[in-house]
Amino acid sequence: MAHRSELLSVAGVRTHVLRGGRGAPLLVLHPELAAHRWFPYHDALAARFQVFAPDHPGFGETERPEWITGVDDLVFHYVDLLNVLGLDRVAILGTSLGGWIAAELAVAHPERTERLVLVGAAGIKVDGVERFDVFRHPIEETLLHLFHDPRRAAQLLPTEIGAEVIVRGYHEAASLARLSWNPYLYNPKLERRLRRIAAPTLVLWGENDTFLPPAYGEAYARLIPGAILQTVPQCGHFVPFEQTEPFARHVTQFLGAAR
Amino acid sequence: MVQFFYFHLMPWPHLPADFDRRHETSWVTFSNQFYDPQRGHALYNEYLDEMEYAEALGYDGLGVNEHHQNAYGTMPSPNLMAAALIRRTQRAKIAILGNAIPLRDHPLRIAEEVAMLDVMSGGRVISGFVRGIGCEYLSLGVNPTDSRERFYEAHDLILRAWTEPGPFCFEGKHYQVRYANIWPRPLQQPHPPIWLPSQGSTETIRWGAQRRYPFVSVFTSFAQTKRLIDEYKAAAETAGYTAPPEQIGFALPTYVAETDARARDEAKPHMLWLFRRGLKIPPHFLLPPGYITEESLRKFLAAGLRPPAEMSFEELEAGGYVLVGSARTVTDRLKEIERQLGFGLFIGGGRTGDMPHDKALKNMELFAREVMPHFKQ
Repeated sequence: MAHRSELLSVAGVRTHVLRGGRGAPLLVLHPELAAHRWFPYHDALAARFQVFAPDHPGFGETERPEWITGVDDLVFHYVDLLNVLGLDRVAILGTSLGGWIAAELAVAHPERTERLVLVGAAGIKVDGVERFDVFRHPIEETLLHLFHDPRRAAQLLPTEIGAEVIVRGYHEAASLARLSWNPYLYNPKLERRLRRIAAPTLVLWGENDTFLPPAYGEAYARLIPGAILQTVPQCGHFVPFEQTEPFARHVTQFLGAAR
Repeated sequence: MVQFFYFHLMPWPHLPADFDRRHETSWVTFSNQFYDPQRGHALYNEYLDEMEYAEALGYDGLGVNEHHQNAYGTMPSPNLMAAALIRRTQRAKIAILGNAIPLRDHPLRIAEEVAMLDVMSGGRVISGFVRGIGCEYLSLGVNPTDSRERFYEAHDLILRAWTEPGPFCFEGKHYQVRYANIWPRPLQQPHPPIWLPSQGSTETIRWGAQRRYPFVSVFTSFAQTKRLIDEYKAAAETAGYTAPPEQIGFALPTYVAETDARARDEAKPHMLWLFRRGLKIPPHFLLPPGYITEESLRKFLAAGLRPPAEMSFEELEAGGYVLVGSARTVTDRLKEIERQLGFGLFIGGGRTGDMPHDKALKNMELFAREVMPHFKQ
């Protein structure tokens, strides 16, 4: 499907946004990998919505200013982006790291959040449930752990390999580390704050997620008032990439219900 | 005149027989269940005995260092070992090579401990500062993307704590102290010598040269050592002076025996242990995100260096990663290196890898008696 690429200045931060589709606006926040590309799941969403898919600062083509050191900084950044795009209220969908940002955004700005979809969202910690440590493994191993069927990981491999691809990956890994080396992929304060989310919320989780096991989805669904939990069978952590069709069906059903 | 330092890593040599096959590394995830405190007790004492003996043999200094949670070096606190040595030695410099300042939560603790050591020793302490290696950011949970900033900021705070009348207020990005006022103050004035043991980013080398901190190249090939030292000398020239030999050091695992053949035979397994087992570190542990700059990573990739862990003993020798031979061979080679690098500080090892105590003693004796004197005229 047709989409276009834009470089915007967001309060001085050069920000890359992919956009496509028509309908109600939907802000799509990418996970810790897979920035900068328009994937089939974007297409599936763009069939019903006007999709805005920015690269997080330090990923893809969005620059990484020194002052961005935590997810709270990204919340401010994305409020600025909504202002630049002239969007007052939007539905927000985020996967993994993107889900964490989406949850924090919905906590801090219920007035900007129409609906919320958290897909395998990072951001909280469930005691006693082991998570995959992305910083302890080489990228090849991490990729396999993101999928139930490791063959599906191929879509995330770079189209070419070389020094610049490695440097690029190192840059994005450092961007992730700046946000979440310690505490690892969560904000200790978020759990208590989730009750502030006012938007109708769908929590979507891969049934076979070993990266952030389904207990995390259950916790999110319990902590966000009125949230609905849906699990996707035969599916690992990266739901939009692994089970694109069921993913799109759940999301469209949930977002479309009120329209 | 070259100053010789007897350097110890205090390795844990008792790896399981299937280590090479079964374990991806001797760091981070290599379980401490392979450490046996009873054997550790005996080892620490042997190691300290060797270091004390080095003073008796005429070494100018004794070098200790900091590494965490691995079999490569069981010295998480170099300051503790320095303290143990200070009370058992009289003359030798005690070189801490170095304290990994960004890994500590409080730099003032290091300022205090080194000041204590300096006062205890009557001013024999040399204070190296390092960033710690990448693995240690995993092992201690410190964010590697903060490593450089923390290094520079911790250095600034320590230096002020040593030199500025307290109390003073320090409000940095990573460390804040409103009443910095360390007791004791160091004995050496204006402060204990600061050294920079490093594998050397351009930025760090320039920073050290500007402050006239001696640079010590650590465990790398001769070509790389020469490149780093040349870079340091050039940075000194840019800063407006010529770096004297006392500012140029390098660390090299060394072994001396009666003949070249015998030295190779005796040293080979232990040198290989150092590179293949002690330094068995996968890239994602060695270079956690943000630990090095993207510029350094580009250079590193472009250089296409083979990891020394994959080299044969002969390749390690030829590449200048180790120096092994008769006293004559080692002297000649060191003279040649001295001619090329102009170093004034040599940090040699006596007990590399899993070398037994008796070999270590023989090596030290031969090196001290038959090599060192050639550099003392």
